[in-house]
Amino acid sequence: MIDTISRHRPLALLATVVLAQVLLLAFQIKRVNSVRLIRYWAVELMTPLERAGTWTFSHVGGVWSGYVGLRNTRAENERLRGEVDTLRLRNRELESHAAEAQRLSTLLNFHEAHTEAPMLAAEVIGASADPTSHTLFINRGERDHLRRNMGVITPDGVVGKIVEVFPSTAQVLLINDKDSGVGALFASSRTHGVVKGSGDPEPHMEYVINEEKLQSGDAIVTSGEDRIFPKDLLIGTVDVAKPGNPFQAISVRPAARLDRLEDVIVLLSQQELVPKKTEAAEPSDSTAAQSGEQSAAPQAPKSSGVVTDPSKLKPAAAPTRPVPTANNSPAAKSPAPR
Amino acid sequence: MAYMLNVGAHHSEANVEVHKFYSGTIVGTALLALVFQAFLHKYGRWSELIDLPLLVTIYFGVSRRNPVSGLFLGGAIGILQDALSHDNPIGMYGIAKTIVGYLASSVGARIDTEHPLSRFGLIFLFFHFHQAILGVTQRVLLNHVAPLFTLRLFIDSLVTAAFGVILFALLDRLRRTS
Repeated sequence: MIDTISRHRPLALLATVVLAQVLLLAFQIKRVNSVRLIRYWAVELMTPLERAGTWTFSHVGGVWSGYVGLRNTRAENERLRGEVDTLRLRNRELESHAAEAQRLSTLLNFHEAHTEAPMLAAEVIGASADPTSHTLFINRGERDHLRRNMGVITPDGVVGKIVEVFPSTAQVLLINDKDSGVGALFASSRTHGVVKGSGDPEPHMEYVINEEKLQSGDAIVTSGEDRIFPKDLLIGTVDVAKPGNPFQAISVRPAARLDRLEDVIVLLSQQELVPKKTEAAEPSDSTAAQSGEQSAAPQAPKSSGVVTDPSKLKPAAAPTRPVPTANNSPAAKSPAPR
Repeated sequence: MAYMLNVGAHHSEANVEVHKFYSGTIVGTALLALVFQAFLHKYGRWSELIDLPLLVTIYFGVSRRNPVSGLFLGGAIGILQDALSHDNPIGMYGIAKTIVGYLASSVGARIDTEHPLSRFGLIFLFFHFHQAILGVTQRVLLNHVAPLFTLRLFIDSLVTAAFGVILFALLDRLRRTS
């Protein structure tokens, strides 16, 4: 560059001198609005550069701020996700607690409605490993004075009976198990039968003659003849009834949700459950009014009601009669003759 | 006084004479030309036919055959001419005469400028070149559209060229003899 200028020194000088005079001219000449030409040129020269600089800085700044903002957004997003996960977990806990409170409230209401019958609340802690066996385990056992053949119910209806008692747990045979049998009768007609499990989700009511007029939805309650459940506890409703040989094939829809049990009530005696309030156990009221003979059925002595402390439970709360096993129960093993 | 100038390795045999002048001759002649140009202007428009500063620029350019001194001499004469005018922005004639001085020095080193006819031709061409630069400068800088070629300019160029041949012969006497 310097060599080129030295080689063309006269030409470079010429350009310099001419340029200096052009600038001198531009300094003197005024354009519109008395703006000097040199200022006009300077503005015209610098404006595109300034515009380009501004554009570059704004875009680079925008990209940079966008990048930084994106990083902040990502961090914030991760933090919020963690927060959402925590809140979800907390929400599930609260929902679980609310559901538990609802269940316990239902149980408490049931207890309060039947203070005359000794009963013990229990929590379902497990189920059978055999898919064909419909049993479950509760967190009450021998220490809580539980014995075999005690009835297990929920406020909705009959669940089953205790078949095995361990020190701190007990096994409950559900009414839809194939080895289960519950003495039952239709709440409206008072026709007797036996609700037996078949291994299916829905048990069947057997030993009902074909002449019996049945409709879907007819209530089925306990008869008390099995000496396990008090009389007039709701078992379920008629789902499908078909004529058979020699008896009808009646499918029963259990009143208790046997597939999602969490809390149950163990009946410590066969004390009849007579609700204090009229709105509870309608079949019981109706059946009691219709059949005077069944109200005379043997009953366990009345106890103090709800047992919250199993250690205070007296043996007197147990059934007064010998309790048959599930398989040896007359109601379970043989049809109830009419 | 005159000496031979080797203008380049490729033209080692094309030697041309470089004339020298007594000290103060160039500056004095230039100032005198400017004074006469301003003085004669008072006595009628006929003086506008001749551009004495331009003729002095061309003459010393082709005689000295030094582009650097030629452009500086032309620039100085042009700026002084602008300064003496009443409405020209400083630099109008300066730019034109700077370029003319440079080109005259460059041309003078390559062609014979001693013959009257060549001098006439050079002056004629440089006159129009000078006018062209002025016209372009006025158009670009002043937004003033000046004619680049008119009959008046043509006549001026002929008169200036004829006068320049005579003037150059007179100025030749100011050369230093070796």
